[in-house]
Amino acid sequence: MKSTMNIMVVDDEKIVRESFLHWFRKIGHHVEAAASGTEALSRLTRAPFDLMFVDIKMPEMDGIELLEKIKSDYPDTAVVIITAYGSIEPAIKAMQIGAADYLLKPFKPEQLTLVLEKICQQKHMSREYQYLKGRLEKMTRFDNIIGRSGAMEEVFGLILEVAQSDSAVLLLGETGTGKELVAKAIHAKSSRAHHPFIAINCGAIPDTLLSSELFGHQKGAFTGATQTRKGFLEVVSGGTLFLDEIGEISPKMQIDLLRVLEEKKISRVGSSQTIDVDFRLISATRRNLVEETSAGNFRQDFFYRVNVIEIKVPPLRDRKEDIPLLVEHFLDKYSQETNKQVDSISGYAREQLIHYDWPGNVRELENAIERAVVLSKSRTLDIQDFAFLKPAHSDYREPEGRSLLEIEKDHISKILTESEGNVTRAAKILGINRVTLHKKIKRYELKH
Amino acid sequence: MDPNSITIGVATLGKIPSTVPKVIAAHISGYYDLTARVLVPRKQPAYAFDERRLQYNAGIILDTLNAVSFKGCKKVLGVLNVDIFIPIFKHVFGEARQGGRIAIISLYRLGQHQNGSAVSRSDLYSRAAKVALHELGHLFNLHHCDNGNCLMHFSGALDELDTLSFTLCRYCKAYLQDALKTLASKPAGN
Repeated sequence: MKSTMNIMVVDDEKIVRESFLHWFRKIGHHVEAAASGTEALSRLTRAPFDLMFVDIKMPEMDGIELLEKIKSDYPDTAVVIITAYGSIEPAIKAMQIGAADYLLKPFKPEQLTLVLEKICQQKHMSREYQYLKGRLEKMTRFDNIIGRSGAMEEVFGLILEVAQSDSAVLLLGETGTGKELVAKAIHAKSSRAHHPFIAINCGAIPDTLLSSELFGHQKGAFTGATQTRKGFLEVVSGGTLFLDEIGEISPKMQIDLLRVLEEKKISRVGSSQTIDVDFRLISATRRNLVEETSAGNFRQDFFYRVNVIEIKVPPLRDRKEDIPLLVEHFLDKYSQETNKQVDSISGYAREQLIHYDWPGNVRELENAIERAVVLSKSRTLDIQDFAFLKPAHSDYREPEGRSLLEIEKDHISKILTESEGNVTRAAKILGINRVTLHKKIKRYELKH
Repeated sequence: MDPNSITIGVATLGKIPSTVPKVIAAHISGYYDLTARVLVPRKQPAYAFDERRLQYNAGIILDTLNAVSFKGCKKVLGVLNVDIFIPIFKHVFGEARQGGRIAIISLYRLGQHQNGSAVSRSDLYSRAAKVALHELGHLFNLHHCDNGNCLMHFSGALDELDTLSFTLCRYCKAYLQDALKTLASKPAGN
């Protein structure tokens, strides 16, 4: 069944109002009628209407005046102007003001049906757009980027700032830090949000293929090019292109891309015809491009083009306070995905995860939680569920600049983790008695 | 009361081939499984003639017939052979008020092809029966249906009417059964 709309008919002639009422009731819409513009405005203050049919010729307030008021105060309400044959001029004026359509009465039933279907479809698309826009906005602050640490708050701030501009952004960060999520968030917060976001991992594609992927190709340009194909630079039109591992692209490709960034034009492989392109470039690398540039591996002019704004995405070991939050998030995600009731983690296991140094960053943490959830036989993840994390990666920080209390806390926590939470064993290793260890656990809030 | 015992009256208004009301009554019995009775013919509704439009106002006809008792009939379908309209539309094939008691249909435009030539008798009967069952659907509170294969799908043009099915979709069928049960529980018309 079709979606029901709230419709109001505004006409000073009773028989016309009644005709509309009977007809719309047959379709199943909610319909009300008003005999004048004043009555219509009064009804609008009481309830919202999706669609109004307004007669252009009415005493006191005419249809044009009413339309102006509706468009100013209730812009979401679509208005269809009803006019008699021979009075097309006001209908044109109404369309210029913002009427959705007009009907010359009397009209054929199918004309009214077409208008209704068109507006119904527009309303549906508008609702869908609002829903998706809302979902997108919800995702960006910052559903997929978990973090409350100062380091991440700084990144969030930069995302919002750079999203407003159209400059090229270079994201620096180790593998697994979530550079693509940051790029997506910048895109989603920018004016290009409603256009495509295309991500390409330059390190994963051979140079020749990358060229064809980016620029497209003409039919017959090379063996296997059996038909003309648009490249991502064309497809992304209006949107954002995210080039991951930009440090891996060849010098030749750097020249080609530099030209695109300077001229905003491309030619498909095998074609001399130029095509205008419009996109925002966000690139990412885990390499030190300054060093690569000095070594001659990366073109300096290209580096300056892609590095207008630089954002450093911190490694997980530099934002350990975010680990509990990330753990909760991934636990929730994978317990739902795997349909397993694994919904908590022990204090010791949490401490273990906090003190691990995560060389693979958030991605490694995510994989660890997924693996633990899949293999766990209990509702609560414990230390033994993370036995696969290699102690070689365990956190070790130089004591320089750290207080004795901090070092003591870290050491006790480490020993407790190694002792799988067994206080007696940990106390023995630490060379203190159990009561003292309990006091220290309480003081440092190590036990949850 | 058994829903099947609900009686629908079919009344001609003016000069109509006598077969038409019988065909319509047979279709009502066949497709809706209701008792249909051909009523005493009535005069052409001259009172509803609009001199400006040279057509008959369907709303006035419905209001007038609504004042008639049609004893023993829960719903009544009037059949005319004049061009009928409602004020917003150029013409209509039939008219009924949602959930009302009276519906009317007109053969005036149903007897012609789009180009104006006459259709065969069987095509006329088929079109008249479809419009009658559709308008009767409105009397049982069925709305226009999105399903193009359903009798309650709106068809504004004759070619659309020709492709329209005689049967209801499963949703409209269920709504009809609900409406018939409700109607059967109410006392018969005056």
